[in-house]
Amino acid sequence: MIYSVDTILSLVLLSVLFSFGSSRLPGLIKVIAFQGIVVSLVPLFIEHDLTTGTILFSLVTMVIRGIVIPLSIHLVIKKVSINRGVEPIIGFHASLFAGLILIVAAAFVSHRLNIPSVSTSALLTPTAITILVAGMFILMTRRNAIAMVLGYMMMENGIYLVGTTFSTHAHHIVEFGILLDVLAGVMIMAIMLRDMKQKFDGVDTVHLRNLKE
Amino acid sequence: MVEFVILAPFLLGIIAFFLPKESGRTILVVTGSIHLLFSVTLWVRRPVSFLPEYFSVTPEGLLSLLVISFLFFLVAIYTTAYLKETKIQSENIFIGSMILFLSTMTMVTLSDHIMVMWIAIEATTLASAPLIYTHRSKASLEATWKYVLICSVGIAMALLGSVFLVLAMDLGNIDVPLSFSALSQVAKQLDPIWLKAAFILILVGYGTKMGLAPMHTWLPDAHSEAPSPASALLSGVLLNCAYLGIFKTNKIMIAAGLGDFSGTILIIFGLMSILAAATFIIKQTEYKRLLAYSSIENMGIIAFGTGIGGLGAYGAILCLIHHSLIKSSLFLTSGNILLGYGSGLIDKTGNLVKLMPKTLIAFFAGFAGISGFPPFGIFIGEMFIIIGAFRTGHYVVATVFIISLCVIFAGFANQAMKITFSDADKHLSIKFTEKASMIWPQYILLITSLILCLWMPETLYKTIIDAVAVIGGGL
Repeated sequence: MIYSVDTILSLVLLSVLFSFGSSRLPGLIKVIAFQGIVVSLVPLFIEHDLTTGTILFSLVTMVIRGIVIPLSIHLVIKKVSINRGVEPIIGFHASLFAGLILIVAAAFVSHRLNIPSVSTSALLTPTAITILVAGMFILMTRRNAIAMVLGYMMMENGIYLVGTTFSTHAHHIVEFGILLDVLAGVMIMAIMLRDMKQKFDGVDTVHLRNLKE
Repeated sequence: MVEFVILAPFLLGIIAFFLPKESGRTILVVTGSIHLLFSVTLWVRRPVSFLPEYFSVTPEGLLSLLVISFLFFLVAIYTTAYLKETKIQSENIFIGSMILFLSTMTMVTLSDHIMVMWIAIEATTLASAPLIYTHRSKASLEATWKYVLICSVGIAMALLGSVFLVLAMDLGNIDVPLSFSALSQVAKQLDPIWLKAAFILILVGYGTKMGLAPMHTWLPDAHSEAPSPASALLSGVLLNCAYLGIFKTNKIMIAAGLGDFSGTILIIFGLMSILAAATFIIKQTEYKRLLAYSSIENMGIIAFGTGIGGLGAYGAILCLIHHSLIKSSLFLTSGNILLGYGSGLIDKTGNLVKLMPKTLIAFFAGFAGISGFPPFGIFIGEMFIIIGAFRTGHYVVATVFIISLCVIFAGFANQAMKITFSDADKHLSIKFTEKASMIWPQYILLITSLILCLWMPETLYKTIIDAVAVIGGGL
């Protein structure tokens, strides 16, 4: 059976592959913005009875995840106007291949998990697992600090998606608190990125290896 | 009333951001005293909160809150004197962040809702990041970056774990508020597989913040790069806050009958932390990093004790309280040493006994306390943990535990002797006068630890017993 939300979720799965293959930061930011928007719209598709609160909260989430955060990181890149490569530790071809395996594995695992509350979408759980792990993958395999922040955001998107699957208990005020924390975290990271450029003349995390033991 | 303890420092912290230098210092002490007053009132009255679903006064929360409050008050006094001795750019940000940090930590101790707990712990990371970055140097930037990134990613795991806890509720078909106390009551109906997954993720997540190996890599950097008063707070009470999240989840596990599972994992992580600390303490060259690794060791001991349960859990809580008191005093003392010698390296120090005699008393007593010497509380805590481990038949791990403690003691003693008695550079001149306000906070912390060891007030004893009752704690 095909559900309406699966159309956009399949695009998210494709975007993961795109992010693994992209060597430039601006492309990566667009992927994150797209994911942020889709992820925040998902509750509108899967909730049975839409309340004003749900709609309002989804919109706020969309603005923050899809617009405010990507835009602020974009501004940082503009300001530090540096070499915009992501400086991968694992090459793009290998990353792409890992991405494919990841999607297949996520689909396989989520079949086995058999979560009963997901009845409105076939792709929700696989997508959530995929972007969660993909975010971690980017965090670990890219040396550019901005790419790492983007990886963190991707991971957060994944957790949010896992949460929407069954968090009927959590109130919007609580979810809003979580969102606020994420936003503040990214803002602090953005401030540090600017200083990093001044102090180290770049945002390659190779410079950040002086403190040991 | 309960929420007010969180709100008051929050508002004062925001005000402090916009105040000029000198008045900020006053605000810091004022906030410390107000907070201490409120915490004591909470302790005596134990009121119900306005939002019982989100916040509640629990025994373990009260214990942490009182420690935080007492420590912050003394650190605030020390900080006012410390700021006169040293130059800090944008002091208002430093003071504002410190007060906000207090507010977020208070929120951790009082939150009962699983997600609110997460929000509060992540907020402590954000509020303390500016403290580590105070010196604006390359090294402090590196430390802050690692701190924010590793902790945020780690705590994100805890969020995933909390979401799994919700799933365990869904599968068990129960509809209760998402609070630790409510979940403990219906724990038996929770889906065990997802509950286990949730516990592992929460342990890894909050364990990152608590400094458990192998997720501890940020801790020595952050604690050594932050100014000493901030290090005292980070090491003394922030780690306790993260532990509280693990402790409360562990309670749910025990109520669900999965205590053996969670206990074993806690023991493994605890031992790994102690072993990791032992390796790094022996060859350490900087004294603040030495203290930081000692914090990792103590967090390992606490996790180990909690995993053992029973008498061990009681010992773990004792270690938690005394570690806060003694370690924060040591970090404040390290601030004096840094001001006196102007270097963080152990080799650049020496002859503390002649050069800074008052600081020496605080340093040496702190060293004795943290290594588990009898007049101080950590000795009793560790003894209870060891007895508890033997009673429950954990012979092998208890042996490893004791041997690692000996190794750590040897390493620490070696470094401490270098600082106190070895010959210092002859051209060295100490530019630091040992003022009362930079000595007495440490003395008071150490004396408190000493008194609590000899005589514990009835109410404190009862609260500890209440906190560990579920884990089978008690004498």
